[in-house]
Amino acid sequence: MKKIFALLLASLLLLSACSSESKTTEEASDTEKETNELTVWTWDPNFNVKAINMAMDTYNKENSKLKLKVIENAQADIVQKLNTSLSSGTSKGMPNIVLIEDYRAQSFLKAYPDAFFELSSYFKAEDFAEYKLAPTSLEDKHYGIPFDTGVSGFYVRTDYLEKAGYTVEDLQGIDWNKYIEIGKKVKQATGKSMISMDPKDLGLIRQMIQTSGSWYLKEDGVTPDLGDNEFLKEAFTTYKEIIDADISKPVSDWGQYLASFNSGETASVLTGNWMTASVKQEASQKDKWAVVPFPKQSGNANSVNATNLGGSSWYVLNISGKEKAADLLAKTFGSNVDFYQDINKEIGAIGTYKPAAEGEAYKAADEFFGGQPITQDFSKWVADIPQVNYGAHTYVIEDILAVGMQDYLKGKDLDTVLKDAQKQAEQQIK
Amino acid sequence: MIPAKTKQSYSTTTTGQKVRFMKNSRKHRIKSATIGWSFVVLAVVMICTFTFYPMVHAFMMSLQSGTGTNLTFVGLDNYARLLKDPTFLTTVKNTVIYLIIQVPIMIILALFISVLLNNPKLKFRGFFRTAIFLPCVTSLVAYSVIFKYLFSLDGIVNILLMKISLISEPIQWLTDPFWAKITIIVAITWRWTGYNMIFYLSALQNIDYSIYESAKMDGASPIQQFFKITIPLLKPIILFTSIISTIGTLQLFDEVMNITQGGPGNATMTISQYIYNLSFKYTPDFGYAATVSYAIVIMIGIFSILQFKVAGDKNE
Repeated sequence: MKKIFALLLASLLLLSACSSESKTTEEASDTEKETNELTVWTWDPNFNVKAINMAMDTYNKENSKLKLKVIENAQADIVQKLNTSLSSGTSKGMPNIVLIEDYRAQSFLKAYPDAFFELSSYFKAEDFAEYKLAPTSLEDKHYGIPFDTGVSGFYVRTDYLEKAGYTVEDLQGIDWNKYIEIGKKVKQATGKSMISMDPKDLGLIRQMIQTSGSWYLKEDGVTPDLGDNEFLKEAFTTYKEIIDADISKPVSDWGQYLASFNSGETASVLTGNWMTASVKQEASQKDKWAVVPFPKQSGNANSVNATNLGGSSWYVLNISGKEKAADLLAKTFGSNVDFYQDINKEIGAIGTYKPAAEGEAYKAADEFFGGQPITQDFSKWVADIPQVNYGAHTYVIEDILAVGMQDYLKGKDLDTVLKDAQKQAEQQIK
Repeated sequence: MIPAKTKQSYSTTTTGQKVRFMKNSRKHRIKSATIGWSFVVLAVVMICTFTFYPMVHAFMMSLQSGTGTNLTFVGLDNYARLLKDPTFLTTVKNTVIYLIIQVPIMIILALFISVLLNNPKLKFRGFFRTAIFLPCVTSLVAYSVIFKYLFSLDGIVNILLMKISLISEPIQWLTDPFWAKITIIVAITWRWTGYNMIFYLSALQNIDYSIYESAKMDGASPIQQFFKITIPLLKPIILFTSIISTIGTLQLFDEVMNITQGGPGNATMTISQYIYNLSFKYTPDFGYAATVSYAIVIMIGIFSILQFKVAGDKNE
């Protein structure tokens, strides 16, 4: 009996050893074999996934047949998976191409040197919008091919505006004081909130300060610039004024945020142009929306009616298959004007490749927005976005500021709030 | 009978035979020890590689700092930074608030429900037990997401409270620092009360009914029975559940991550979520994140010792 048991145990061990062995050899042969399949990690099936698949189709028309395996995850999950895989130092299971948000790009490039493949020789950097180059490169080497712009728009419900006695013309080139004034009128006339805000997401603050060419960090991208940042101070004041004026609706996650304007509860959305697809989702609101330039800050003469929120770029990992991946990106996102027209028509993506702005699709009128040529308008604003250095610490500082914002809303003195945030940020960022 | 016989036969053996037997028994002992070890060696190796090695490695990591893979040895700097880090201190404060408010509420509630459900005269006992235990088998993420929608500004909780005119304005359950904490506490109480109740129920069934009968004959009221019999006899289980709940609360992550994401500000952020943020949301600093996780280890140790000291019997 004992012998049988021992035999059983031994065979079990052997069996499991065998199975794991066969698995690893299989994997090894997989990576050694020159496959034409590249793995891509990205988020947003309606936008980024479609874009990369269209890139593959365009590429395959003229070049060798490449196959893409696109793995779609939420952005936060991709960030987590990248961090765990890169820090473990293994290249197994890594994607060839990955999309990274510009705010996070520096943190990856700095934290994992040599993990990304340098793309400087694959595309002409000067053909892209300048503000996209700082986040995608490190020490003058380009690692990312810029993809979509996050140029912001002020999406507004024209029917609510009318009821409040305003037209779209009244909203061109306004500042935040005017915005709040209009918001109050809209609330009075329609009972709808002017804007919905998530207290955890300070995207609005980020957009406000970038209109003045300011950021959480100084130009070196390392030193926090919070304590004496007058633009940040003004943005905080404006944020509180919006809440005090009772024209905002609090939301606590992305789903509720989208629902707040799809349901017609809020009259305006101030965010990156990638929101266009979500605004259009509610087909019954056709002809009721317009896009106008982003409000500027009143306290700064140099503040412009253009800013940015988000936007991301494609990166190639330094693993086998990198040349193919780089070639795919270079011949589509890196240089192909027609390709940019296609993705604009299909998914409304606006690239940052300057020559693409001359194309036909960019000039087309958008029926949903009452015939407004929104792509052309957005492209016009792209040129005005003040360049700032995002650095690698956007989200650390944002969490610190989100706490400060709560304190400020509860009545703590603003100067103290920002001074405290500055001190804390200096401690955290090393 | 048989052992006696063998004993007798041993005593009658000659000295030579005795020595041989002792040799045999030593060999036998070594042999049985090897067999014994061969059974546990797999488990021991596994525990060492998957539990002790990571623990030691995490400790080594907590002495380093830097971004991503560029870690440098900094000694105890991380621990010094920990004590001055306002975010860490806030997360500790939040976690302790959950602990001292939620754990007692849950334990008392679970005790109360289990005593009610232990009443043999109660009809549909099985149904009620299942209903109260059911939350424990739901996925943490799934129930958190549902709670988020229940408690959203135009969620069903606000609508209900407004319909019965308890409130005139919707409560900001998720976006106000105070109410967000309440929401988290309500959520975890809902999820874990049934779990603790099961422990109490099984312990209650081990209490001999004759104790209650004799107490009744001596004229003890039900309340006296509860405090003088039930509670003392359940004491080891109460201690066990409160330690388990304390550890669980100190490691709280899923609920907060999914319901409020730690917000507004960091009003609901827990220590575990801070570890997640340090590793994955911000520029990754795995060294400092490891330090924070060691802080949890130390806190769990302290709380458990405290609970043993306060509630434990000396003779146990």
